[in-house]
Amino acid sequence: MTATRIEYHAPSTLAQAVALLEEHGHAAAPLAGGTDLVPALKHGVLQARHLVSLARIPGHREIAITADGGLSIGAFATLADVARSPLVGAVCPALAEAAVQAGSPLLRNRGTLGGNVCLDTRCWYYNQTEAWRASRPPCQKAGGQQCYVNQKQNVCVALFSADTPAVLITVGARATLAGPAGERAVPVEALYSGEGLQPLAKSGAEILTEIAVPAPPARSGTAYLKHSPRDSIDFPLLGIAAAVALSGGGTIASARIALTGARSAPCRLPELEAALAGGPVPAAGDRELAQLATRSLGALFLTDAVPHKRRLAGLMAVDAVERAAALAQGWRTR
Amino acid sequence: MKELVQLSVNGQTHDLVVRPERTLLDVLREDLGLTGSKRGCDLGACGACAVLLDGRPVSSCLTLAVEASGHEIVTVEGLARGGGLHPVQEAFVEHGAVQCGFCTPGMLITVTALLDERPEPTEAEILEALSGNLCRCTGYVKVLDAVRTAIRRMRQPGLPGSVAPEVRA
Ligand SMILES: Cc1cc2nc3c(=O)[nH]c(=O)nc-3n(C[C@H](O)[C@H](O)[C@H](O)COP(=O)(O)OP(=O)(O)OC[C@H]3O[C@@H](n4cnc5c(N)ncnc54)[C@H](O)[C@@H]3O)c2cc1C
Ligand code: SF4
Ligand code: FES
Ligand code: FES
Repeated sequence: MTATRIEYHAPSTLAQAVALLEEHGHAAAPLAGGTDLVPALKHGVLQARHLVSLARIPGHREIAITADGGLSIGAFATLADVARSPLVGAVCPALAEAAVQAGSPLLRNRGTLGGNVCLDTRCWYYNQTEAWRASRPPCQKAGGQQCYVNQKQNVCVALFSADTPAVLITVGARATLAGPAGERAVPVEALYSGEGLQPLAKSGAEILTEIAVPAPPARSGTAYLKHSPRDSIDFPLLGIAAAVALSGGGTIASARIALTGARSAPCRLPELEAALAGGPVPAAGDRELAQLATRSLGALFLTDAVPHKRRLAGLMAVDAVERAAALAQGWRTR
Repeated sequence: MKELVQLSVNGQTHDLVVRPERTLLDVLREDLGLTGSKRGCDLGACGACAVLLDGRPVSSCLTLAVEASGHEIVTVEGLARGGGLHPVQEAFVEHGAVQCGFCTPGMLITVTALLDERPEPTEAEILEALSGNLCRCTGYVKVLDAVRTAIRRMRQPGLPGSVAPEVRA
């Protein structure tokens, strides 16, 4: 690795971990599977000099059905465990679909759900080795002054591209955080600031301990579609999650759609959601709806193929809705 | 600050003092001389550094050595049993699934873990398991042939696989 000098802490309780994070402030970060944090250290883009390992803290790895029929998933559970859990497959199949598509099996055996939800944002500049970046001063996110992607506005527009959060947002999941002031639970959607530099709307001393997925409503279904340049080991160019509930008559009672890979936070498509509510299930490839979805995405600040990504988002959103609705239609037989 | 680390590698325990930023791959190769695990991308994308950590294949280039302390590690050096090659290793040799050999240790680790967990994987499960191991030489066809042969052999030990006897000799 690089000449980076870090200090390693291995607390055996959550309270000790929180205290260590509080003590070292910005210079500290929780270490879960390390599959994102270690590359960031090697790239020399991570400021943290104190790693607070979550490995010795017992618990927070279980996946269970709650009394009301929802899911409780320990944030330290690996993506492999989430992907292969029959409970996740039964209650929230889209979450299993998203988990099984994140990275490779080698990464999923170490990478955790909490690390995925708390993933850092990235861009083509940030994602390079120190040697690659050595020809100019560090960018804002690496401690410098300039953004090399959005040079005009000089604002960090690094993308959030973890796979599971879009699904968690569409199903209304809540995250439990343990911090210096005790525990609090927030909707997963509220965990994201939308800022490229500080993507998480939580204090650095807070540790994500649990994700709670509410029981799915009757006649509902979920789906996650991912598009990436290569089939294996790739962050999503775009990931789209849909959760759809049908009315007794077979029309859409409610639809929630969220995407990842387009902004500095996972985001919803409220205009498309509103247009779908009360109407029939759209056919996959419905161009009119796809265009509405594309429009509701608004402006994107990216380097890579923006028009392509916008069109793709529309088409994938409609396909995801269609697929979630198909699952909802089979609800009774499940 | 350096950390005391106890690594159990291929059944042997090593007490080491390492800097916390060093990865398991660094320590296996540089301190323990186990150079079977290869440094390819060093960023989690190629699978050449795969080792078993408590039976599960992981990228050792992203695992800090301190985090592996107290866990069971198996590298490609630890796959051979009783002086002979592991059936998966044998099948790789027989099928020519090894060319430059750089990806091979990682492939062997991944395939061994798969067959330990699922002795009769489906074609889709084989492809899925190997999706984190990149190979720039073989085109994967011979790797898949080798995996299928290994599955047959492990199911019926003692029986030859699909490979012609003159190739096996
Ligand atoms: C080659 C490669 C391909 C990848 N492909 C994908 C992909 O396709 N999709 C995808 O989603 N991800 C991908 N990843 C990223 C990463 O592997 C996963 O997102 C993984 O889930 C991260 O989890 P972790 O436990 O390893 O996190 P870590 O690396 O340990 O941590 C990630 C971040 O979250 C923080 N953190 C971790 N746990 C907690 C917690 N409980 N509470 C608060 N903060 C926490 C850490 O401080 C750090 O900032 C890829 C990584 C690599 C190297
Ligand atoms: S978007 Fe700009 S500031 Fe943000 S990580 Fe990339 S180059 Fe750095
Ligand atoms: S060297 Fe570890 S995955 Fe490439
Ligand atoms: S044999 Fe050369 S990379 Fe696979």
